[in-house]
Amino acid sequence: MNYFGLLIGIITLFIIGLGFPLVIYGERIFGFLWWPYMMSIGILLIVVSLFIQIDWLSVLIGVLGATFVWGSTELKEQAIRAEIGWYPFNLNKINPPFENLIKKWKAPHL
Amino acid sequence: MNFIGVIAAIATFFSIWFGHVAVRKVEFISPTIWIPTTIFAAFGLIVEFLSLSTVHHPLSTVFGILGLILLIDAFEFTRQQHRIKKGYAPANPNNPRHANILAEHPSATTLDLLKRNPIGHTGSTKKVTQQISNF
Repeated sequence: MNYFGLLIGIITLFIIGLGFPLVIYGERIFGFLWWPYMMSIGILLIVVSLFIQIDWLSVLIGVLGATFVWGSTELKEQAIRAEIGWYPFNLNKINPPFENLIKKWKAPHL
Repeated sequence: MNFIGVIAAIATFFSIWFGHVAVRKVEFISPTIWIPTTIFAAFGLIVEFLSLSTVHHPLSTVFGILGLILLIDAFEFTRQQHRIKKGYAPANPNNPRHANILAEHPSATTLDLLKRNPIGHTGSTKKVTQQISNF
C-alpha cells in the first residue's frame, strides 16, 4: 500500500478549502480586477515547485499554485455574488496597478 | 527539475474544474440526487484504491487528488440542490425534482443571477434581472 497519494489528496482538500476564504476576502478587500495578479502568483508557485527536490513539498507548492489559479477564475463570480447581496459588499476596494488595462481584458470564468 | 509538483497542480486544477462543471450540469438534469452521488462516490473510492495500489509517486498523487475531489463532489450534489432552493443557481423547470423545488421554494428561480459582468455596486433584484436579460 502506498499512502503517498491518499495523504496528498487529504492535504489538497485542506488547501482547496483555503481557496474559499482567499476568494471571498480577496474579492471583498481588493476586488475581482486583481485576477491577473492572483493567477500570476499561482503560476509562479507552480514554477517554484519544479525546483523543489522533496516530492511532498513540491506537490504541496504545486497544489497551492493550482488553488491560486483556480481562485483567480472565481473572483468575477464572487464580485457578482457580493453585488447581489449574498456576501457583504465593500465599496472601497483597493484598485490594482494597471487597472484600466485589466478592465479591457475579459475576466476568466470556468 | 522535479515535475511532481506540476503534475499535482494540473491534477488539482482539472479535477476541480471537472467537478465544478459536472456537479452543476448533472444536478440540473438528474431526476434524483442519490444516483449521481453514489456514482461519484464509487468512482472516488475506485480512484483512491488505485492511488493506494501504485508505487509510482506521480500516479499515486494524481489518483489521490482526483479520488478525494470526486468524493467531495459526491456531497456537492446535495449542496447544489440547496443552492437551487435558495436561488443561488438556476432551476430547470423540465426536471421534475426542480419543478417541485420551484413550487415549494419562493426563492428558487430559473434565472442564472451570476450570468453577467460585475457592475461595481449593489443593485436591486429587479435591476439585476434586467441586466441578466440584457447580457
